[in-house]
Amino acid sequence: MVITVAGEQKEVPEGTTVAGLIALEKVDNPEYVSVSVNEDFVDREDFETRALAEKDVVEFLYFMGGGR
Amino acid sequence: MLSRDEPRGTRGKNRGADRLGSEGRMHFNTRLLHGKAVKKYGDGATLPAVAQVNAFAYDSAEELDRVFHHRAMGFAYSRVANPTVAAFEQRISEMERGNGAVALNSGMTAISLSLLNFLCAGDEVIASCGLYGGSLDLFDDLAKFGITTRFAREMTPEAVEPLVTERTRVIFGEVIGNPSLRVMDISAMAAFAHERGIPLIVDSTTATPFLVNPLELGADVVVHSTTKYINGSGNAMGGVVIDASRFPWDFQKTPALEKFRAYGKAAYLIRLRTDVSENMGGIMSPVSAFLNVVGLETLGLRMREICQNAEKLSKALDEAFPDLDVNYPLLGRSPYAGIAREQLGGMGGGILTFRAGSREKAFAIINDLRYAVRATSIGDTRTLVIHPESTLYIHSDAGEKEAAGVYEDTVRVSVGIEDADDLIEDFTEAIRKNRG
Repeated sequence: MVITVAGEQKEVPEGTTVAGLIALEKVDNPEYVSVSVNEDFVDREDFETRALAEKDVVEFLYFMGGGR
Repeated sequence: MLSRDEPRGTRGKNRGADRLGSEGRMHFNTRLLHGKAVKKYGDGATLPAVAQVNAFAYDSAEELDRVFHHRAMGFAYSRVANPTVAAFEQRISEMERGNGAVALNSGMTAISLSLLNFLCAGDEVIASCGLYGGSLDLFDDLAKFGITTRFAREMTPEAVEPLVTERTRVIFGEVIGNPSLRVMDISAMAAFAHERGIPLIVDSTTATPFLVNPLELGADVVVHSTTKYINGSGNAMGGVVIDASRFPWDFQKTPALEKFRAYGKAAYLIRLRTDVSENMGGIMSPVSAFLNVVGLETLGLRMREICQNAEKLSKALDEAFPDLDVNYPLLGRSPYAGIAREQLGGMGGGILTFRAGSREKAFAIINDLRYAVRATSIGDTRTLVIHPESTLYIHSDAGEKEAAGVYEDTVRVSVGIEDADDLIEDFTEAIRKNRG
């Protein structure tokens, strides 16, 4: 399926989860990244289970400062 | 920097001092030094470097563009975020079991921004009337911006219930009142607030994460004046707001957060980080953040000693001078002894008060102390003593003073880490000499 990641169209396997995409894209500092899918933020607890769908628009964002 | 909040604990299990870490192995002091938030700092340094700079340079305009749009991890400008400050935020957030923290330049800035982050003109706050004098003054200031505060005599569901209106947007209280020394039942107040769709913000400065983690008991946001016990040595002003990112915000009731709707339960934290603290200013300085990291590492050691000293001193004075009206949460006659033992891990904090009999006697006792330092503030390594009525509460009216347990003969003691026997001897001699 084709999704948009950080403004670029990418082909990823069907059923790719948010966590899977983070690994696939080799996202910098994954422990700090926040992820939005179609402009809605995904709870970190849902990274492993949230499956992406065709035409989803994904952004990886960093909010510098303190958090776990 | 956002991450998953952890399940709420139960009241009996939340004690910061004894509770196990998220890894299920580390206790409090170990977690302070070896928790997940303790990073490998540059060059193998065991503490974060002090990034005493205003701006951060990048090799290209494109990189800076990505940082400004949060698409790359990096710092741009220290009014917004700074590596040393972030290191402190990560560590205090971990110790409070928060989802994220914003460190500010004073405790009052922390309280102010914790409220201004989502309140608008026409909104109402419910607060305990026995708050620290500076907080009372703040609520008076907020009234000039159309934010009304209704004060509850006690921070209990029964006392707060009649004050709730359609416009109530937050309940605010202190875990251990300063200097009223009333102890809030956090679980009860959180349940009460949430049943009505209201968030609970607590000031836990006097309790610290060593005694309790309010977020685990259901509070939504916890604020600290880090100037006090967290810093611990009286060498850096600061405050911090820690968010659980758990409250289901109603964006119709809190339109200030509407723009951050996409962040869901993290809307409060993201607005505080990227909007309110950035625009209103007030972030903690890098040097203060460094000193607060250093102080935080010994919080457990100091708090245990301070709490033991305060309990010994209060009991000794209460026994020697039964009419001194010693106030300390763990004294048997305190109505808060039960909740303090249950919620605060058997500790009562580091503050006690007593009544000298008159303003003149209070001053005389204060002046005759050898070890206690005559100074404002609390949470220092050294014992601090003050006459709150003529200092901390000069802007408060008689009713506010009485509600806070502040009378013309009240003496407040912030107990330090001196040897308890010396403190007992010092206070006993000064009191005996001046009260007869």
